[in-house]
Amino acid sequence: MTYPAQLVELIEEFQDADDQMERLEMVFEMADEVVLIPIDDWSDHTRVVGCQSEAHVRVSLDDGKVLMAGAADAQLVQGLMGILTIAINGSAPAQALLLSPEFAQEMGILKSLSPSRSNGFRNMFDKVMLEIRGLVE
Amino acid sequence: MPLRDDFPILQRLIHGHPLVYLDNAATTQKPQVVIDAMNDYYTQSNANVHRAVHTLAGEATDGYEACRTRLKTWFNAERAILTSGTTEAINLVAHAWGRANLVKGDAIVLTEMEHHSDIVPWQMLAEERGVEVRYVPVLEDFTLDMDVYAASLEGTKLVCVVHTSNVLGVRNPLEDIIRLGHEAGAKVLIDAAQGVPHDRIDFDAFGADFMAFSAHKMCGPTGIGALLVRPEVFEEMEPFMGGGDMIETVTIEGSTYQTNEHKFEAGTPRIAEAIGWNAAFGWMESLDLKHEHKRMLEIARYTAAELRTLGMTVYGRHDDSDSAVVSFLHPTLHSEDLAHLLDARGYAVRTGHHCAQPLLHRLGISSTVRASFYLYNTMEEAEQFIVQVKNILERFA
Repeated sequence: MTYPAQLVELIEEFQDADDQMERLEMVFEMADEVVLIPIDDWSDHTRVVGCQSEAHVRVSLDDGKVLMAGAADAQLVQGLMGILTIAINGSAPAQALLLSPEFAQEMGILKSLSPSRSNGFRNMFDKVMLEIRGLVE
Repeated sequence: MPLRDDFPILQRLIHGHPLVYLDNAATTQKPQVVIDAMNDYYTQSNANVHRAVHTLAGEATDGYEACRTRLKTWFNAERAILTSGTTEAINLVAHAWGRANLVKGDAIVLTEMEHHSDIVPWQMLAEERGVEVRYVPVLEDFTLDMDVYAASLEGTKLVCVVHTSNVLGVRNPLEDIIRLGHEAGAKVLIDAAQGVPHDRIDFDAFGADFMAFSAHKMCGPTGIGALLVRPEVFEEMEPFMGGGDMIETVTIEGSTYQTNEHKFEAGTPRIAEAIGWNAAFGWMESLDLKHEHKRMLEIARYTAAELRTLGMTVYGRHDDSDSAVVSFLHPTLHSEDLAHLLDARGYAVRTGHHCAQPLLHRLGISSTVRASFYLYNTMEEAEQFIVQVKNILERFA
């Protein structure tokens, strides 16, 4: 899989982390990268279903480029949203749709990408991709 | 600790740290004897049960039926149906007894403390048959409202109650629940998935009509469990799943059924799992379970007290008969975050609603972190767990 340059850089940074705890701390810091959806705008439409935490995403197009916004009450889930934000925001929809979720494994953050109710990242990733598809179809 | 040496998985490193497994209320680890028994079956005796006359079939049948015999001895029960686990056992009661004995206007009493597996089958049956489902609330001290329970029994044909809550660790007053249920003319089903790993129950003396539980929560394999049934109630059950092994004769005109437990075990059963479960019972036989329960409860009490000093809300009371489950929440650090951070140090805990959403709704929360202890856990592990939680809170909360 070929990733966008900004994501490649991030993957390398994560791979260089000393241990899993440091890696998770880095994910925590990524939470600040998210374009936040104010809590008053959280709705069933924005909710990531099947996520243990309360997580919300919304995707729109800004001048033809992807603009993802999100929020979660779990810092790690919001951090993963931050990583996804870096990976796709400002990209053409067709480019964003090429992204596969394996980058989270390559970063060493997640062992499993199987859809499940404990896998907030996978559920969030799938919803974002579905929304991008909906915007371009 | 010699007991720990029986569990090969405890040697594993997780992210470079020794595994500390505290998710025992979800499933327990397996001692080497269980792994060996299943491996031996597949390498030496694999065959189908009950029909063929060859040597392997005889060994497989003996191995499978030995598990049933062990269940009957261990729990002092006359009827033991082997199922895929607690969920299937409860669904079996809903289909085999419920459909044959419940009619529109009857009531089933459940509690807010139930696992989803003891709620959903009854909701489905209620919808199908027009049966009313009543729920006994959980009070602020994490116990059932027994006044509401007593008042709910009029017109009730079946009471279904969890032996020990998988979230709170609270052991319910089952003797009173069974007695009152029977006085009202109701049958009583106990979901003992969290009870049997801690308590060697005498089913006959206990008095319940049905008791459902799983092997994997007591060091046995996944994929197998049992339903114990009182003999007179067994006769009130109609076959549910049709197929091979449960029949006596099949003709073009119709079929007749077996009269023993096989009537409810259609198809090729879980042979290796039964053999593994029997080995688990054999392994547990050598332990003083009462002493172990007391030891685990001390670990849980220590953990709960220390977590409270760290600002956590602990959901549970840890009375003498409760299980060693500690559910807790931090006021700001999300349960899922805490679980991921603990995993980074080798600690396996559970988060989420634990398949008990009505209970969590009653508690006003959507998830907890749950540390649940079992036979191989030590006080040293609990002490180190608290140190890790403290470190995580200092760094992330």
